[in-house]
Amino acid sequence: MTKSNSSLKTKNKSYNNSLGNRIGLGLLYLVLGAVALFQIYPLVWLFFFSLKTNAEVFGTSPFALPKDPQWGNYLKAWVDGGVGAYFFNSVWVTVTAVILTVLFASFVTFAITRMDWKLNKLVLGLFMVGLMVPIHSALIPLFSFFLDLNLIDHPLSIILTYTAYNLPITIMILLGFYYTLPREVEEAAVMDGCSVHRIFFQITLPMTMPVISTTAIINMIYNWNEFVFVNTFISSDKYKTLTVGIQNFIGQYLTDWGAIGATLMISIIPVLIAFFILSNRIVDGIAAGSVKG
Amino acid sequence: MNKKAFPFILGLIAILMIALAGCASGSEDDGASGSDDSDNESGSDVEEKTINFMHLWPEGSSRQHHLIVNDIIAEYEEANPGITVETEILGNEQYKEKLKVLSSSNELPDVGMTWAAGFLDPYVGGDMFAPLDDIIENDHSDSFVPGTAEAYAIDGTTYGLPLELNITPVMYNKAIFEEHGVEIPETFEELKAAVQTFVDNDVIPITLGNKDSWTGSMWYMYLADRIGGAETLTNAINRSGSFEDPALVEAAAKVQELVDMGGFVKGYNGLANDEAKGYFINEQAAMYLMATWDLPQWTTDENNPQEFRDNVGYFKFPTVDGKGDKNSYVGGPGVGLFVAEDSPVKDEAKDFVSFFVEKWGEQAVSNAGVIPATKVDTENVELPDMYIDVLNDLNEASNITLYADVQMSASVAQVHLNMIQALFGGEVSPEEFAKEQEDALAAEEE
Amino acid sequence: MKQVMSNKLIIAMYTLPALILILALVYVPIVMTGYYGLMEWDGIGAKTFIGLENYIGLMQDAKFWDSAYHSFLLAAFSTLSLVGYLVISLVLANKLKGSELLRKIYLIPMLLSSVAIAQLWLKIYDPNNGMLNSLLEIFGVENTPTWLADPKLVLISIFIAIIWQYAGFYIIIYSAALKGIPESLVEAARIDGANPIQIAYKVKLPLIAGVIKVTIVLAIVGSLKYFDLIYVMTGGGPNGASEVLASYMYKEAFASYNFGYGSAVGFALLVICLIITWLVRKLTASNEEIQY
Repeated sequence: MTKSNSSLKTKNKSYNNSLGNRIGLGLLYLVLGAVALFQIYPLVWLFFFSLKTNAEVFGTSPFALPKDPQWGNYLKAWVDGGVGAYFFNSVWVTVTAVILTVLFASFVTFAITRMDWKLNKLVLGLFMVGLMVPIHSALIPLFSFFLDLNLIDHPLSIILTYTAYNLPITIMILLGFYYTLPREVEEAAVMDGCSVHRIFFQITLPMTMPVISTTAIINMIYNWNEFVFVNTFISSDKYKTLTVGIQNFIGQYLTDWGAIGATLMISIIPVLIAFFILSNRIVDGIAAGSVKG
Repeated sequence: MNKKAFPFILGLIAILMIALAGCASGSEDDGASGSDDSDNESGSDVEEKTINFMHLWPEGSSRQHHLIVNDIIAEYEEANPGITVETEILGNEQYKEKLKVLSSSNELPDVGMTWAAGFLDPYVGGDMFAPLDDIIENDHSDSFVPGTAEAYAIDGTTYGLPLELNITPVMYNKAIFEEHGVEIPETFEELKAAVQTFVDNDVIPITLGNKDSWTGSMWYMYLADRIGGAETLTNAINRSGSFEDPALVEAAAKVQELVDMGGFVKGYNGLANDEAKGYFINEQAAMYLMATWDLPQWTTDENNPQEFRDNVGYFKFPTVDGKGDKNSYVGGPGVGLFVAEDSPVKDEAKDFVSFFVEKWGEQAVSNAGVIPATKVDTENVELPDMYIDVLNDLNEASNITLYADVQMSASVAQVHLNMIQALFGGEVSPEEFAKEQEDALAAEEE
Repeated sequence: MKQVMSNKLIIAMYTLPALILILALVYVPIVMTGYYGLMEWDGIGAKTFIGLENYIGLMQDAKFWDSAYHSFLLAAFSTLSLVGYLVISLVLANKLKGSELLRKIYLIPMLLSSVAIAQLWLKIYDPNNGMLNSLLEIFGVENTPTWLADPKLVLISIFIAIIWQYAGFYIIIYSAALKGIPESLVEAARIDGANPIQIAYKVKLPLIAGVIKVTIVLAIVGSLKYFDLIYVMTGGGPNGASEVLASYMYKEAFASYNFGYGSAVGFALLVICLIITWLVRKLTASNEEIQY
């Protein structure tokens, strides 16, 4: 793997001390900082957006501060938009689906990359095809499928759908990592007479913590923001999720954009928190994994 | 190292258990709201029945509509013991999408909302909607404004009862007109002169959100109406005429005259209607052609500044070279109610629909600012002046042409809407515009 | 030792739950889509079997090919932009002060739902009051472009928004991959006197090649079936100038009541994805033993 190492010559001895490099570093920070501003601005923008009236949202400059902050938008989001009521549904549906997806995907990836069997390429292929289904063409078949199972208007229908449709991408991402990770530890464990389950749960899972966190973040965001499946499969208010709350502000002829902004703002907070926690796991995980067992 | 994995698995199991518990508690009360067949069998003295009603007036965006619906339901349940009406509410787009999916599995709600003509055609073709002629004959023989319920009829049978009726006047900003000394245009030439004045003074003459191309379609329809008379476009669509009728081509040419003058807001083909409306509300644009469903925004909506609302007026679409009748409008009924053909509670659902239409007619204008398709008694309601004027205009209307994209079948409507964008974008000539649609209409006829 | 790792029962235990889920919820719909594609069906009434008529119609449908072309452009564009994401990730992977925080900030747009992102970019591209044109006017540009209304600019305008939307997704994958590189290898190269660029190019990139290949497939497949922002921002317009395969399929199936034809488009989309993925695998797997 590291065959190219030897080709590196010792040309640049003290590259990090020269003046040129300092200027380069300064420029780099300038660029990085500018990009960061561009990436963080949407949150600020969304916040102002959530405090505006429709008249301000359209027609005035998007940079403009809200003239008369409409804090009432948040009240509307909470009460009329049902954010208070849908919040818990969003949380547990998202969490359950993320755990199922990541766990199943890890099982599959482990079996495909670490275990010996003839059909592994075929099974992998089966999962990869799952990447390619446009969800809207699956909508009607899935609906009649769940109808037959009596799962329409049941949270299981969306949890299973989220899991199934996120499995392929999760497996793909895991796969890239499993191939990269050294197998020595696992091989040693086999020598020591470890069972496969112990290897999986006690060696492989902890070692892949960074990528598990990564896929968990990606899955979480997908599930949290999904609305096509919820809208189609769920009709009772008691099972609806936050994205449906947004629908409450889209009227026949009039859409209340400020309230949508407020709903979006409220609903981004939990993902933001979860995201910061999980993305720290990316760092922690590797530290734990690299300790030789 | 091992210490990390165990809490992880434990936590996982715990969460899965919570999840399962959530599912289990879900499935227990599932039967209560879901299916009504099972409930019927329990032999209590009053038969319990549930009518599922799907509508598109969420509390957030259509508060007044939402409240009226709840009022009517409460009143109905009161008067009909044993019947419960369960609602499911979705936003506009999602509503249409879900209705489609539900019908593919024959799972339509007992009562729901539909649009006229082209929209309900496939549902009727698939025997999804129940005929409602008996309701009209028995309870509502004189309730509807002539021509409205007919828009929901296919081959003489009516499948929907309309709830709203709109016409489309040209809204304008009185202050901007006054500032530039522009009078209300009576003819197309005067309209062009007005547009020129605004262009010269850096005011947006007409705001138009042509990303949702039904907006541009209304401009085209009016010009077609004024040039060719009320029937030409309708005849082209129902195939007793042709889309290549000279009047329809000329109307397209007139649209491009306005476009070439810079009559429409910059970037109109990329703007959604909501965005385009923003220019009007912020008093940057002088004119805005929009149906009367927006009347609340021009009169009572507190979110729009009072000064702006005071400045809004409307005028009838001008004549072209003295041709055309100014009392002929583009417009028509919007949503109506349907009853599912296979509903297990069809009779109750029909009864409810009939009740709903009546009560809705009584409350819609005064409480939600919606002009219902049932006749309105203007004597006894307090309304802003603009409503009174519009209701009077409606009474004097010589003709209301239903929106072209609603008249057409869904797939031809797509061609029409695309062609409207192409016409406004200057990508096609008026002749190509007409031919393309003639071809689509002719292809469908086969 | 081989025996332990080829225990059939365990393999079945590990793969079957996911496999069953996929077969039921993904393959059944795929099969149904292909089947509906053989029907003349408005999605509501009776289905009529018409054989391959829809698929033959597809071959001659200029709109289908236009949409496919736009989807291919997006796929090419997204794949190219992977280079940019990779560079950012490599820079942030160095032990720069604050790179941890920067990386998190870079991922924020990914958290926003498409609804929010679409609104943001609509505000950026608004031809009259928009952010972009306001800036251009400050710099004295007259006749500012109309972005989403201009058939020549609409595609590139939306592509930029999509590239921005997905930046976080790929950066987080690359960052996690780069974190997985043992510090000892980087240290060894540094002692050999390699500068950061050489380390990135010669040490790190080869090590994460597997991940890069995965992201290429994800970028291509994701682009080919891309729907969200395009549907919200332009609806495929003006007059089809930004129509892509998924939005065309959606319009046919749900707006035009041609569910049969829409399903055929959906199935064709799947086949196109399959062919291209196969090609990519052939092209990238040639010089490495790693298969995925």
